[in-house]
Amino acid sequence: MLGYICKYAPVEVFEAMGVQMERIEPDVTNFNQAEIRMHPNICSFAKGVLEAVMDGAYEGVILTTCCDSIRRLYDVLREEFPDKFIYMLDTPRITKDAGITLYEQRIRAMIREYEEFSGKSFDEEKFCGYLKEIEEGQQYAVKENAVNIGIIGARANDSIKKILAERGANIAFDLTCTGLGRKILADEKNVMAGYARGLLSQFPCMRMEQAANRDELIRRCAGSVDGIIYHTVQFCDNYAYEYAWLKDWLDRPMLLLETDYTRQSGGQVRTRIEAFLEALTPETRRPDIQRKGDGTMYVMGIDSGSTSTNAVIMDQDRKIKAFSVVRTGAKSGVSADRVLHEVLEKAGLAREDISWIVSTGYGRVSIEFADENVTEISCHGKGAHYFNPKIRTILDIGGQDSKAIRLNENGEVKDFVMNDKCAAGTGRFLEMIARTLEVSLDELGAIALTSKEKIEITSMCSVFAESEVISLIASNKEKADIADGVCHAIANKASGLLRRVGLEPDFMMTGGVAKNPGVVRAVEEKIGAKLYICNEPEIVGATGAAVYALEKYRSR
Amino acid sequence: MWLADKYIDHVKEQTAAHPGESWDQMLLGFKLNKLRTKLLPKKGISKGYQKLEAMMMSFVADSLGRPDSYVWGNIFSPCEIIGCFGLSTLSIECLSCYFSGYHLEDFFIDYAQNTGIAPTLCSYHKTFVGAIDSGAVPVPEYAVTTSLSCDGNLNTFRYLEKKKGVPFTFLDVPYRDDEPSVDYLVEQLKEFAAELERRCGKAFDEEKLREAIRIENETRRELMRFFRLQSERYYPGELISHLYMMMGMHLLIGTQEFLDLIRFMIKDIENYPKFDGKKILWIHLLPFYQETLQSYFNSNRKYQIIASDIIMDSMEEMDAAKPFHALAKKIIRNLYNGSYSHKAEMVGHLADTLRPDAVIQFCHWGCKQSSGGSLLLKEKMQDMGIPMLILDGDGIDRRNSHDGQIKTRLEAFLEMLESGEDGETEKEEAAHREQKIC
Repeated sequence: MLGYICKYAPVEVFEAMGVQMERIEPDVTNFNQAEIRMHPNICSFAKGVLEAVMDGAYEGVILTTCCDSIRRLYDVLREEFPDKFIYMLDTPRITKDAGITLYEQRIRAMIREYEEFSGKSFDEEKFCGYLKEIEEGQQYAVKENAVNIGIIGARANDSIKKILAERGANIAFDLTCTGLGRKILADEKNVMAGYARGLLSQFPCMRMEQAANRDELIRRCAGSVDGIIYHTVQFCDNYAYEYAWLKDWLDRPMLLLETDYTRQSGGQVRTRIEAFLEALTPETRRPDIQRKGDGTMYVMGIDSGSTSTNAVIMDQDRKIKAFSVVRTGAKSGVSADRVLHEVLEKAGLAREDISWIVSTGYGRVSIEFADENVTEISCHGKGAHYFNPKIRTILDIGGQDSKAIRLNENGEVKDFVMNDKCAAGTGRFLEMIARTLEVSLDELGAIALTSKEKIEITSMCSVFAESEVISLIASNKEKADIADGVCHAIANKASGLLRRVGLEPDFMMTGGVAKNPGVVRAVEEKIGAKLYICNEPEIVGATGAAVYALEKYRSR
Repeated sequence: MWLADKYIDHVKEQTAAHPGESWDQMLLGFKLNKLRTKLLPKKGISKGYQKLEAMMMSFVADSLGRPDSYVWGNIFSPCEIIGCFGLSTLSIECLSCYFSGYHLEDFFIDYAQNTGIAPTLCSYHKTFVGAIDSGAVPVPEYAVTTSLSCDGNLNTFRYLEKKKGVPFTFLDVPYRDDEPSVDYLVEQLKEFAAELERRCGKAFDEEKLREAIRIENETRRELMRFFRLQSERYYPGELISHLYMMMGMHLLIGTQEFLDLIRFMIKDIENYPKFDGKKILWIHLLPFYQETLQSYFNSNRKYQIIASDIIMDSMEEMDAAKPFHALAKKIIRNLYNGSYSHKAEMVGHLADTLRPDAVIQFCHWGCKQSSGGSLLLKEKMQDMGIPMLILDGDGIDRRNSHDGQIKTRLEAFLEMLESGEDGETEKEEAAHREQKIC
């Protein structure tokens, strides 16, 4: 069996020789092998392929010169497996005649080398017959009565499609290189040239010269769907250019989704996709069951975050009856039980008095007593709108991620971006720095306000920033100035996120970090506008969840 | 210098506040710096490197001052053909470095990232995209890029064509080194010359190209001679001097002016004392701003960078009788093209000729084609008995280079080199340790 990765790979040539071909779709838990043999800053897909080949039973791999990372993957595989058929097929980026001629020559040279390697022989007539028998691959189509989603960008693995299917969304098109049917030309007079022409005339990927033609097809396809998922792979930079270009003119909601081909990122991918679908279909969800209250009707929102678990009880008139905030322990379910107990006690209610419970946050799926779950992105939108309907842009900095969310006048999410790849710009980062400075988290923000000297923390990585802070301490800098520098570092990250969703006023900041006056001031300076902060910024998500619960109950 | 710093800060602030309104000030700064490098050259570096800096400042300031006198290119664009039309090639990588002279790289990089450009992209490309997309820097009429040596080229030029309307010619450099590849690229180069004819309204003079190639051959021979001398004599320069040299070898190669400069340096180096410190062969980019590296390699009698692969990335004689073929072969056989074993072989050749004490590779953030093979090169160097250090950082964005980490790695490596003199066994042990920590 030979592995391959690219849609331009001449798979049929080998199949006609009786070789089993398998497209390598890495599904790995770590990059242990890749970390040893390649540099960490290589595209995650390439690292995943390396892991898969190290584990797999391939007699060889057909690679194409599709990108820098794959070129280096080839070098590493050649070195690791000198006895396997590791082949780099030089694939032209130009699809005019000169490119086709060159590609035909390259394919022929590859066949000769494989014949030598395997002892098999290639028969052009048989190949032509094989091509004629190939049927067109699966085609996607728009479905009525469903949310129609199009996928564009870099190769996407099946996990995205699975999540979409679970949520009842229809994939109307998939223009990534793993989603398109192959284009096979069977030209009897000139079999190999025709075949090369067919391969090169597939919907161009970003490495091809004529990729500019993508715009037209994307424009046409996008018109038929409700939203688009634009997929990129971590450390593959080619498709981000197209995203940056499309978002200027493409008239459809678009989610930028970066994945890294490991299973670890599954939870984050799910949150993003679900929030996107929720934003596309705010009114389609209906409740199935409700419980009765004793006169007044109460609902509950519960937000299970990485740092705190928060609950809000709301009555039918949208008034908050009680709320509670507890620290999230090792098990989110236990903290949820605790906060449930606490908030019920504060409200003087029993569990049976609550008609509907909506959970949100990273731990939302682990809360067994919730009636349904909604992503924290949608809930923050609702919550922000509840506290101040003028809010159009939210900055939420939580324990393990930060997000910027743009809302419309009804509090519905129109766009959002998230940073959850690293600790930089999150609450955890502040905790780390506070520890290093030997002050409490509360003090950190307060002392930042007393800063006299401007210090710039340049490192973007939290680990580097921590050692930068240690160096500053070593050079006797004032704690207040360092704290202020750290607040500004967070503000820089935050302003980048805010800009990406459009910087539309009014602004609100939510999450635990909104209680830090140093960060708040730094963000306000950076964006040149005031941030609205409600009394309890930690409960905005839970409040939003409660509003969801109320709307659900009312829509019965 | 105080005044210069004030001016830099002023331009930075102006640009960040109103991109597009400060270009005249940026340009004026480049022109003033050109004068400064001529009248008051940097102290503490050799005359040759002073002249090199002045030449590169003039080249950029003069070109930018006359918008119809240059085209954008990347560092591997065939400046020899462009030169036949009296045009300069301003590479986007070098321009990014010049913009960072105003410490604007962070503003431009953030600008690009905020529009959706990948944070993991090469910082040179991000700086350039941000500079143009923000409107801070005006655009020329035309551009050219090769697919060599990274994916960013085609994508950056295509993005700017769409966003800013700068048309460009794309030269697809095949991976394999064989005749069909050469023919494929020759046709593209000829079409490129024809396109320039159309755009400039000037006929292409092939004899001019032949002459450029003759000068280029001579320049490369002379430069190799200079490198040999530089491995014997202390010739003070700075990290940035090597970047200027790389610029010259890619954007001014084939000009008499640049050949004359190399010849001057060969003469000038004879006036300098013998070098008996550690000779370093540098691989890939140099983070010219990085304090620790500056302290060890700027005019240091103990450690001298004697050559770099980014300067000498093509090594063979070109056939002036067939200029397009010669150029195509040069580009295809460039050490950044093809497999990493090809690169390792060429670096090995450089090492054989120059006998460095050590090799340092700087893995620039976002550069997959270079970083991805660094471990393979290290193995090759170990086979040759040359210790190699891999440093991670960013050639232009200070925020991605951590001084503490670079300092620890570098100093441990240099200690290892020093202790290697005491005994071979120790050297091997240290190399083994080094392999683990680097």
